[in-house]
Amino acid sequence: MTRWVMVADLNRCVGCQTCTAACKHTNATLPQVQWRKVIDIEWGSYPDAHRLFMPVGCQHCADPPCMSVCPSTATGQREDGIVTIDYDLCIGCGYCMVACPYQARYKVTRPHFAYGDEPMPSEAVRFDEGRMGVAQKCTFCSDRVDEGLARGLTPGIDPEATPGCVNACIADALSFGDIEDENSNVSRLLEEKTWFQMHGELETETGFYYLWDGGKQEE
Amino acid sequence: MHAKTKPHGKKVSTYCYQCVNGPDLLTVEVIDGVATRIEPNFDLRGEHPADGKICVKPFGLIQKTYNPNRILHPMKRTNPKKGKDEDPGWVQISWDEALDLVAERLKKAREKGVLDENGNPRLAFTTGGAATPFKYMGSFPAFLVAWGPFDQSIGAGGTVKCYHSEHMFGELWHRAFTVLPDTPSCDYIISFGNNINASGGVTGVRRHADARARGMKRIQFEPHLSVTGATSSEWIPIRPQTDSAVLYAMLHVLMHETPLERLDVPFLRDYTSSPYLVGPNGFYLRDPESRKPLLWDLRSNRAVPYDTEGTEPALLGPFRVEEAIEVGPDEETWNHRNVEAPTALDKARALVSDKSPEWAEGISDVPAATIRRIANEFLEHARIGETVEIDGRVLPYRPVATVLGKSVNNGWGGYDCVWAHTMMQVLVGALEVPGGLLGSTVHLSGDTDWDRMLTVEPGEDGFMKHPFNPTSKEEWERHPVNRHAEQSITPMAGHNQGAQLFGATTLAWLRLQGRAGQNWPRPKPPDVWFVYKCNPAISFSETEKICEEMAQFPFIVAFAYQMDETVHFADVLLPEATDLESDQLLRIGGTHYFENHWVTEGWALRQAAVEPLGEAKDFSWIANQLARRLGMLEQYNSMINFGVCGVPLQGEEYDFSLAVDREHDQEEVWDAVCKAATFELTGGKEVLGLDWFREHGFKTRPFSRLHWYLFPLMQDMGLRFELPYQERYYRMGRELANRLHEEGIHWWDRQLEEYEPLPEWRDINRIYDEMIERDCGANPADFPFWALTARSMQYAWGANVSVQLMTELSENVFGHDGVVMNRGKAREMGIEDGDTIEVISPVASVTGTARLREGIRPDVVLMVAQFGQWKTPHARELKRPGINPLVPMNLDSLDAGGAMKDLTKVKIRRVGEAS
Amino acid sequence: MIRFGSTLQNYWDWRAAGNFIFGGTGSGLLILATLMSWPGPLEPAAGLPAVVLIGLGLFLVWLEIGRPWRFLHVFFHPQTSWMTREGSVAVLLLPLALLAIVFAQGWLLALTGVLAIAFLYCQARILQASKGIPAWREPAVVPLIVISGLTEGTALLFLISAVAGQPQSWTEPLLVILLAARGYAWVRYRAALTAAEAPAEALAALGRFNPLLLGGGNVLPLVLALAATALPTQQLPLMFSAALLALAGGWLSKFVIIRKAAHLQGYAVGRLRRGRPQIRPPVRRKPDRFVS
Repeated sequence: MTRWVMVADLNRCVGCQTCTAACKHTNATLPQVQWRKVIDIEWGSYPDAHRLFMPVGCQHCADPPCMSVCPSTATGQREDGIVTIDYDLCIGCGYCMVACPYQARYKVTRPHFAYGDEPMPSEAVRFDEGRMGVAQKCTFCSDRVDEGLARGLTPGIDPEATPGCVNACIADALSFGDIEDENSNVSRLLEEKTWFQMHGELETETGFYYLWDGGKQEE
Repeated sequence: MHAKTKPHGKKVSTYCYQCVNGPDLLTVEVIDGVATRIEPNFDLRGEHPADGKICVKPFGLIQKTYNPNRILHPMKRTNPKKGKDEDPGWVQISWDEALDLVAERLKKAREKGVLDENGNPRLAFTTGGAATPFKYMGSFPAFLVAWGPFDQSIGAGGTVKCYHSEHMFGELWHRAFTVLPDTPSCDYIISFGNNINASGGVTGVRRHADARARGMKRIQFEPHLSVTGATSSEWIPIRPQTDSAVLYAMLHVLMHETPLERLDVPFLRDYTSSPYLVGPNGFYLRDPESRKPLLWDLRSNRAVPYDTEGTEPALLGPFRVEEAIEVGPDEETWNHRNVEAPTALDKARALVSDKSPEWAEGISDVPAATIRRIANEFLEHARIGETVEIDGRVLPYRPVATVLGKSVNNGWGGYDCVWAHTMMQVLVGALEVPGGLLGSTVHLSGDTDWDRMLTVEPGEDGFMKHPFNPTSKEEWERHPVNRHAEQSITPMAGHNQGAQLFGATTLAWLRLQGRAGQNWPRPKPPDVWFVYKCNPAISFSETEKICEEMAQFPFIVAFAYQMDETVHFADVLLPEATDLESDQLLRIGGTHYFENHWVTEGWALRQAAVEPLGEAKDFSWIANQLARRLGMLEQYNSMINFGVCGVPLQGEEYDFSLAVDREHDQEEVWDAVCKAATFELTGGKEVLGLDWFREHGFKTRPFSRLHWYLFPLMQDMGLRFELPYQERYYRMGRELANRLHEEGIHWWDRQLEEYEPLPEWRDINRIYDEMIERDCGANPADFPFWALTARSMQYAWGANVSVQLMTELSENVFGHDGVVMNRGKAREMGIEDGDTIEVISPVASVTGTARLREGIRPDVVLMVAQFGQWKTPHARELKRPGINPLVPMNLDSLDAGGAMKDLTKVKIRRVGEAS
Repeated sequence: MIRFGSTLQNYWDWRAAGNFIFGGTGSGLLILATLMSWPGPLEPAAGLPAVVLIGLGLFLVWLEIGRPWRFLHVFFHPQTSWMTREGSVAVLLLPLALLAIVFAQGWLLALTGVLAIAFLYCQARILQASKGIPAWREPAVVPLIVISGLTEGTALLFLISAVAGQPQSWTEPLLVILLAARGYAWVRYRAALTAAEAPAEALAALGRFNPLLLGGGNVLPLVLALAATALPTQQLPLMFSAALLALAGGWLSKFVIIRKAAHLQGYAVGRLRRGRPQIRPPVRRKPDRFVS
């Protein structure tokens, strides 16, 4: 069996948003839609202030709250754990958006583009009417994964089979791989380092792990 | 899911060089002739320091290409009146008309003589981005060079926005126009505001992330918790402009609280000027016959010339020297007998004898114990005595480095800081050896910026040869040619082709405004001013005055992308094909800029992935057209043949040169350049033309890691690093003072004081307070905050303010949309997050949104990147404030190198509530 | 634990709030109306407004969804989605209620009442299943929403009957009991949120509205209703005011919960762990039809 997961190393991430940009390019998302983004957070108080960057997006939960609430079955889950949205089924009720504890979902009702209502040629070529009025989110670039696998490539290793954000990460902070393979890149990272899952108490069992040394954490 | 995330169009290889950290090699997906998306060029894995990853900025190139606000047709101004509030009255014209207009002006200028009646060039050219725009200008530089003297002194931000003191002294001391830690092997970095995560590009980010994963510690001294501070082991909120105090205190710890044996004695003794003996007038004591500097030989117990074989030089003195001479400025010579002679290291020790950590604590707000601890950790991590083998050669291994950020390493106190941090390296032998502090590129000492080793030659006194601007009576430039007079007043700027970029650009503007240089005629604006990829109306200081001055320029030709603030003052707009629409071959790899240390070197092609939009034209075509119209084809083509496009087209074993008497389109030019470049790269084994590069993108060959380190070459050549003592600098300053005073020039006297053999500690806070009082007629106590800026990776260089994607991305990084203030301090002043505040400096004020944060000192406000656009489409709607209008521009703000800092003192006033 | 980025949700606006307001009142009213009308037919003066209110709520939701013409897809997921269940119940409930008005059949009336209860319960569970919003996912929201629906229904029933000139006196003690219960449910809900460390901004929003909601929406009408029993001469105006306040209080509380206290979970740094993670299999490993 295979379960695709992503690992973000917070010790490496510098908040540059290159993954955000690459995701927008890879998935042709409209302005202000960021399936992947990095948030810039601060805690503590001066002079003991700390700052951390955290890549966020769909966590591809094993038990995704978005999926159970979805009235149309548009949100689904693949054998390999990737949480999917069928844009043709979705009614755009937004229920998944309030159910998702990770603020991962977006809904765009009306097309808008970088410079107003008219698309630039580059936007027009890739505009997808099917995404209007429905929920959308990170897909773990499942089509890249699938096409890559079909060509005998290894997702997470071969760029052609790897999510766009991981390919683009300049700090080598993002990794993608099969957690059920004990020897995969992600399994090795999780064995070597300390990690956490976001909102573990909600028992969503995310497919997204954060590596962090927690050196500066003050609980 | 419908989204097609796999490129399904054609993939075209090209590069992004929007900042000095490039080039980032990438591929563009093109669907039906439309560029749609950018990806890294994964073929570069293993060669490039970041495995071919690309920075966030290239992702903006698609929008940059199709931005509806682009200028796509040549235009001319119809309203002769220029001003911020004047409508230029643009009308669209044909390329023929536009080129004729420009050619006519150039012809007239040429007929009158390339220099005007004041001796200044009639043609001026200004660009930004630390000259990276040259990587987009095709063969246009060949046109400029063919023209003859052209003025590049009318700066867009250079020497204000750059690491100026580091450039000057770094290159003098260790061929380090920019410095960097040998990050892949470094274990301990002390950073004074060096914002590597924002300004180090892909390679900086990746190498530091790898080093952190390896356990490298980085101590970050900076007034606000930057994106780099965020990933550092410690953040130490130092008071602005007190870095030199902490550095001097660390030197104090190493030189006065540490036994000499714990330092790298062999390095100090054999590879630095530490043992050189210094005479009573501050110059080296020299052998009366050979005139070589003396050192004290412990074996023979006497002073001998520094290069005497079989000696054991003493590091600490003083000693009594029987007979010696000193050579001062203008060959002034003193004869000494039985003179007391401290060593250069003695002098350096004396400089910091009273600069204890306790002294620095009061100045910098950094606890003495912290300073002492870090200095000792630095020493412990230096592993003095250990070695490592690199490509078959055993070298010292010293995995420690100190680095400086902008406005620490330029302007007043820049000398103090770069000297002190380089001395930290010198004391532990961590200069130009694996793990230590390295240089990455050269500009002043030569143009082989991909391999700085090629510029090293033995010079006087056992040091490297260095091209200063002459200060002798015979050779000094009495009548300045360029408007900033770099050859006349900034000898450190270097004496070669590119040197004028390192002169005092502020002075050029001040002289044009009649605010400085009274002994010389007030320069006239250039007859023709070319501006490209820069926006001085936004990026310089006191921008209101810059705009007023630009309005006086008679003829401005803008290679214009959009209607920005500088274009607003132009006369003719020439839309050039942008990044994804034009061709250029570029040298890649080797070592260059910051953290670009490669294991290969070679060439890469930037190519037109798509047809130029509208009537935009490739820069090479424009160059051709102008050369033809001016009857300069022969000179222009000759310059291409000579090598202005990156490589000579004719060598001993090859000849790809162009016929000089006719026009060549860009395809012909770059085909020839590609062939010459690959011939050179492969030693003649392969000759690959433009078509090959269009398909494959780049060609490389291995580059030895030994070329990362200067030390082995110094060892082979028997040279010493010119540290700690700056005798040449001191002499040069004294000579310059003589020259200027002979001319009755005294307005540069304050700057002349900086020419010290060792930098006496300067209180920058006091210097700025005095400046406010003296030059702005204001009370310094009224300006309790330091206003600082910080580089943003999304915006650094690149001119991406009008790219919506960058706006969107930058909103994820705190502080881009306003003025960052300390939360506690703001609340004390009744300011809440989102309130509108006015930031008032002694010369101007700007308003912006208050953004409250814990990670900033209470006496500091921060404005990220360079905003304040009032004309640039998209950007002007963002209403983001910028620091530039606030920064006072005056002679007193310039250091001896002609550079000024990118900061100012301000006061804050709340003017509106959060919406 | 380090938490941040908890902003107010903007996915469901006033239209969604309208569904909880009108649907809650409508279903509450219908429950009461079926009781009142036993054994049938359903009293149209109460039954019709109830049907209209529920329908209005659903209409508002229809206005909010991104793909209104795909509304039939809402019925595709009864296995786990409380929204499908709410929709399905409504589809049965509305015609049944109309039939119950026409035909005096006890079973029809009973079924209508049961479905109305189910509808109200679905609404409460819709909120509770919204894991992304701490103020909604709190289990104590369920009794609060259900009791509030019943309270609003009772209040509205009294108002309708009073306007019609036949005030239903049995609603008075019921309203007193329901108001007391709702007040208790509200206090319990807030306490549970505090205990669950809901986002501070959400707690603050609830706190801001607490005097109005607990005092004006529960205590005051409770006092007025009690006073009505004690002062027969002033019974009608006192009871009228009590019912109006009880209704308004219910509506406002739902508006506050949906629009003012609906802060998102935000992001957090979790508890650090070491070693290979225990992997739970995805809950549904259904072959994806887009993978061939």
